[in-house]
Amino acid sequence: MINFLQYMFFYIIFSLPLTLSYRTTKVINFVHANFITYGAYVAVFLHGMFGNTSILLAAIIAFLIVGSMAVLDNLLVFTPLQKRGSSPAMIMISSMGLWIAYRYILYMLTDIAHFYISKNFVSYGRITYADVPSITLGGVTLSQSFIAGMIAATIVILAIYLFLEKTRIGRAMRAISDNEVLAGISGIPKDILINLTWFICGGIVAIGGVLWTSFSGAITPEAGDSMILQVFTIGFIGGLVSLWRTGVGAIIISAMENIGIAFLNAFLGVPVSFRPFLTFATLITTLVLFPPLGAGGGLPYRFRKRRLLK
Amino acid sequence: MIGFDVVGFLISWLTLFGIYSILAITLNVESGISGITNFGKVVFYGIGAYVSATLTTYLILMLNGIDVNKTPPYNINGVILLGELGNKNPFLNIGLFILAVVLSFVVAGLIGYLLTYPILRVGPEFVGFTLLSSGELLRIFLTHYEPVGASRGLMAIPNPFGWVPDSRIRETLYLILVLSFLALTYFVMKKLVNSPFGRVLKATRDDETAALCMGKHVPRTKATVLSIGSGFSGVAGVLLSYYFTSVNPNMFVPAVTFNAWAMIILGGLGNIVGSLLGAAIITFVDRALTFIIPLLGTTIISPDYLRGLLVGLLIVVVLLVNPKGLLPEKPIETPASKEVEKELSEKGR
Repeated sequence: MINFLQYMFFYIIFSLPLTLSYRTTKVINFVHANFITYGAYVAVFLHGMFGNTSILLAAIIAFLIVGSMAVLDNLLVFTPLQKRGSSPAMIMISSMGLWIAYRYILYMLTDIAHFYISKNFVSYGRITYADVPSITLGGVTLSQSFIAGMIAATIVILAIYLFLEKTRIGRAMRAISDNEVLAGISGIPKDILINLTWFICGGIVAIGGVLWTSFSGAITPEAGDSMILQVFTIGFIGGLVSLWRTGVGAIIISAMENIGIAFLNAFLGVPVSFRPFLTFATLITTLVLFPPLGAGGGLPYRFRKRRLLK
Repeated sequence: MIGFDVVGFLISWLTLFGIYSILAITLNVESGISGITNFGKVVFYGIGAYVSATLTTYLILMLNGIDVNKTPPYNINGVILLGELGNKNPFLNIGLFILAVVLSFVVAGLIGYLLTYPILRVGPEFVGFTLLSSGELLRIFLTHYEPVGASRGLMAIPNPFGWVPDSRIRETLYLILVLSFLALTYFVMKKLVNSPFGRVLKATRDDETAALCMGKHVPRTKATVLSIGSGFSGVAGVLLSYYFTSVNPNMFVPAVTFNAWAMIILGGLGNIVGSLLGAAIITFVDRALTFIIPLLGTTIISPDYLRGLLVGLLIVVVLLVNPKGLLPEKPIETPASKEVEKELSEKGR
């Protein structure tokens, strides 16, 4: 049960930005996985090189670094491609290329760091932070990562909600995601806002990555890649448009992964390592039963059967 | 450069080139021509390799009267027995190879068709992601499934020419086999692209709604092309498993898919000859690096990472600088178009 809540916090932090970035920028971003990993590795390098034990400091630095990384991606790759009128599939392929490149850049960084400081950065242990308490409540010990995850998830949800509903910039961002052309006509500076979206999304995901270092026993340069199935499935449950449905998706997936697999393991003897299959089954079910409305394609076939029945 | 084995290098390069070209050509037909963003090429490749490996090792042991329940092919006794028994009967080896090719084609094609059902009714983003994650799932499944050797994989798969005593002749024979399969794939795909069906594919890629309005069943079209492509990638997997004579789950990581993507993007989306060129360039660099890296000694940065980085950057840079690739897409060739061209060139004179 604790695990379920713990994963729920992570999934909320990871997947809300995915939905937000897709609906504003219309880019399926595989670099999302790198945002998680780079966030985690900012914390790892800070801890391993400078002996930093403040999770707040790590989170702020990770937010800035990964946020600017996301903006750079947008300026150097996605915007030129979109201006040229490439199809969404092409942009997706370019993001996949970036994903591979970033992964290996991180591997190289760990190699270089290993060369100067003889520490193993390719598989780094759990970091214990000094500024988060672990609380014991009624015989149940709530770990550091749980407390930090709870606080961060609450802040992220509140911040996104207040930002989108109450501020002018947030409303402008929603206008862009609803109708890009009309938003441009009514005088909203589209390019700046899209860059801002990237910055925020990259930053939030990086905070999630920092939290991951206080939870996972071994942090590797592929930490984010192993999460990508769950995070994207959650995004797809939300149709990549609705933030509320994305939140519900996070709850569903974390329940499936933690409670569902425990039941299957107890009654049918399914090994726990087959956990991703449940997520994949959810993904397929979602695609068949509720074809996502947000993304392109699919529309012509969705009502085909109903029309034939008439 | 003492002892540089030029012939050995050429044979290994051309064999890998043949295997990867089959992947690249089919991927190009699926992605470049019909617009299916297939990020799960490795699924069908892996299925082909595993079907052939499992079939061959189990059947050889069973036909030699060994109880596979007691000595399964993945434990050490099984591997030793396979090494002893594997290469005795030429007809058995070749027969098993043919059986494996047919079975892998059918199985991979079928799975390709089944996977298309849920995903082809939604947009390209979802297709790409679902196939990508199914690749990851296949690897997890293989790593934990005991009858196919779990994380150790299967070893000592008898090569169809394993009975040839001289290793150089054996490799050359296998190379000829691989290249003939490549020629077959090339021929089939070229026919497919230039057929009326190929034109439906291009219409689907360019505008799905318009193709639908013209009365083309778009999901069925895509499912057909994906199952044909998957079948051929299954065959590529078979060729790979017999070439390395061993399979294990770590051979089928998403990097295989990305390599194939880099090939077709470099060579030119929608141009089959282009993907041959791309495959030749990338496999050549890859092979050359395998020969060069041991000469470098230890370096700060592992050269493997550099190779991975290059693949990623290549995709991004080619898309940014020259999205058409080295050989841009050409209009299709039909008997009628050839006639028209002939007329035009005669008039020009």
